[in-house]
Amino acid sequence: METIKHIFADEWRYWQRTKLGITVLVIGLLLTLAAVVVNTINIQHAANERTQLQKTAEARFVDQPDRHPHRMVHYGHYVFRAPSQLSTVEPGVDAYTGTSIFLEGHRQNSAMFADQRQSSGMTRFSSLSPSFLLQILAPLFVIIIGFAALTREKEAGTLNIMITQGLPVSQLILGKYLALFCGALLFILPVGIASILATLSGEAALITLGFFVGYCFYMAIWCGVVIGISSLCGKGSASFASLISVWVLLCILVPRIGSSTAAALEPSQGKLEADFAVLEELRKLGDGHNAQDPAFAALKANLLAQYDADDVDELPVNFRGVVAQYSEQKLTDVLNRFAEARMDTELAQTQVSRWFGWLSPTVAIRTFSMTMAGTNIETHHRFLREAETLRFDFVQSLNKVHADHLDYGHDVNRYKNEDTAKAAKVDASHWQVLSSFSFTPDPAAARIQQSLSAATQLLFWVLLTVGLLVVAVRRVKP
Amino acid sequence: MPKDILKASSLTVSFADHTVLDCVDFSVKQGEVFALLGGNGAGKSTALKTFLGTVSPTSGDAYVLDRSVKKDINSIRKNIAYLPESVTLYGHLSGIENIEYFLSLGGINRTEDDIKQALNRVALQVNAWHKPLSSYSKGMRQKTAIALALLREAPVLFLDEPTSGLDPSAIDKFNQLVASLSEQGTTVFMVTHDVYGACQIAHRIGLLHKGGIVGMFERGSNDTIDTEAVHTAFSMRDH
Repeated sequence: METIKHIFADEWRYWQRTKLGITVLVIGLLLTLAAVVVNTINIQHAANERTQLQKTAEARFVDQPDRHPHRMVHYGHYVFRAPSQLSTVEPGVDAYTGTSIFLEGHRQNSAMFADQRQSSGMTRFSSLSPSFLLQILAPLFVIIIGFAALTREKEAGTLNIMITQGLPVSQLILGKYLALFCGALLFILPVGIASILATLSGEAALITLGFFVGYCFYMAIWCGVVIGISSLCGKGSASFASLISVWVLLCILVPRIGSSTAAALEPSQGKLEADFAVLEELRKLGDGHNAQDPAFAALKANLLAQYDADDVDELPVNFRGVVAQYSEQKLTDVLNRFAEARMDTELAQTQVSRWFGWLSPTVAIRTFSMTMAGTNIETHHRFLREAETLRFDFVQSLNKVHADHLDYGHDVNRYKNEDTAKAAKVDASHWQVLSSFSFTPDPAAARIQQSLSAATQLLFWVLLTVGLLVVAVRRVKP
Repeated sequence: MPKDILKASSLTVSFADHTVLDCVDFSVKQGEVFALLGGNGAGKSTALKTFLGTVSPTSGDAYVLDRSVKKDINSIRKNIAYLPESVTLYGHLSGIENIEYFLSLGGINRTEDDIKQALNRVALQVNAWHKPLSSYSKGMRQKTAIALALLREAPVLFLDEPTSGLDPSAIDKFNQLVASLSEQGTTVFMVTHDVYGACQIAHRIGLLHKGGIVGMFERGSNDTIDTEAVHTAFSMRDH
């Protein structure tokens, strides 16, 4: 143990005196710290802003004056997704999918205000998230610091002296490994601080602890790869070239191949193609704004029969409101069918790309990180579904107000003059149809369960790294 | 009668189909300075590596303090000191720090006074002791490594081309140091291709050629080895 301590301490002394190691460590730490601080400020600002905007949107809706109920259907409403506590480190898909949706009748709008979509091509790289730094750049920093850990000893002939004076190779490798791992821990120190802050803000301690431990595992894997390859290579140049190749493969190529494979195995329709397919289906349903559309003939006949009436103006309900309700129901069924199919495809693609976590620890930690932070695709889909439920409920509530509280005669004559227009309005008290919207990530237990497969992949990589180090111990020769 | 400290017994080392050492037998007694002399490819470095345990014998065995390198290398390594041919140690550490660190890796603690005494003994100038090794000349690094070996206080010292790169004055001092160690009972095993250097320092010289000992020379009644005889044998080894 004493020997390992000496090797550990000397490694740090070497980084300090040669400047390179300590410079990379400081740069890495400052970058991650800056990214976490900036992201925390942004996320905190966004969280406050979205909560405020949600309240404002709800207040504005219910404060609308007396109106025709269908105008309220088109006035619409906004829902905002408050960021999860850990999105300060892991923005996940939020940066691409958007965090707010405009809800209105007859349409399912996409989420808006995605950071990456708002950015121009050149500014995208400037938004370095802490997760990107840790998943992609931190391994590179670890490589720069540690690629020569063992090759340095071989090239200087000191390995010969160490071994021939009885130092077990296992202790040498362990000492170097622990030194590098502690250096790498500096990179994830800001994550630890962010995790504590997230816990204080209400995130489950089990989640924040698991999140931090996951990143510790990821760094442990990379440190093992770096020390293992440095032990197996004879020269520093060979070690550096090999490690950079491994980094490109595991951090860039495999994730890219994963998403390309997912897109090939689970092809999705393009946006235009999908929009046209939806329009094609919707056209068959008829125009809900036109109660005389032949598509509603059967509905009309049934209603007249039900109320024993000869014409729609004899009905106890506003036929236009009934048509709006009927049409919205049918339209929503179609929209939901397409939306579910799209989400199924997105999920299937995600599952395929996640499988590549067995081939790259970067994919494994990305999945683990997003799942634990509650910023994965499943959470976004749940946001879309909850927003759609709210949309459908308030639109149908307004349609019901239309059917029950607005006279059919006033309704059809609303454009004749000012008086008819005034008559074709309902009291503003009817706008109290909105349910309060508050989106929260899945409970801790659910997120932990969802992240088990990614955690297993990380453990697999840890074991693989241990295997590499065992081989290195056996093969190291002076 | 001094006992055998080192022994090669039918020592054979082969790599693939190439035999580097072929059934070599010799022994070195306590306090003796033994030089294994040979040209390039003679097998002397392989013989040294076999005693250090970094190359395994294909057949036969090598013994240090009656312990087999095949079976008991860890125990052997605790009792030897080794001075490689090109010594760089750590450029970022001073001479004293280097010695402290490398001794600590072997579980040996020495006071700074001990280290300074050893550096004095190898004649490393005092003003260099606290300077980083990256500023040392080759000779100064060699002296630091020798001081490290001395401080291990090992009963057996292995030297690989020990005077290579040293100036004549440093060689003289080095020879005196080895002689003094030998008088104190340290057994010294060195490999070299320097005939004159070996004759000056060694009690006995084994001439190695193509993996076999082809000649053994020892000090005569005048306490010197016949340099001419060794040189002639060394020059004629291919004839």
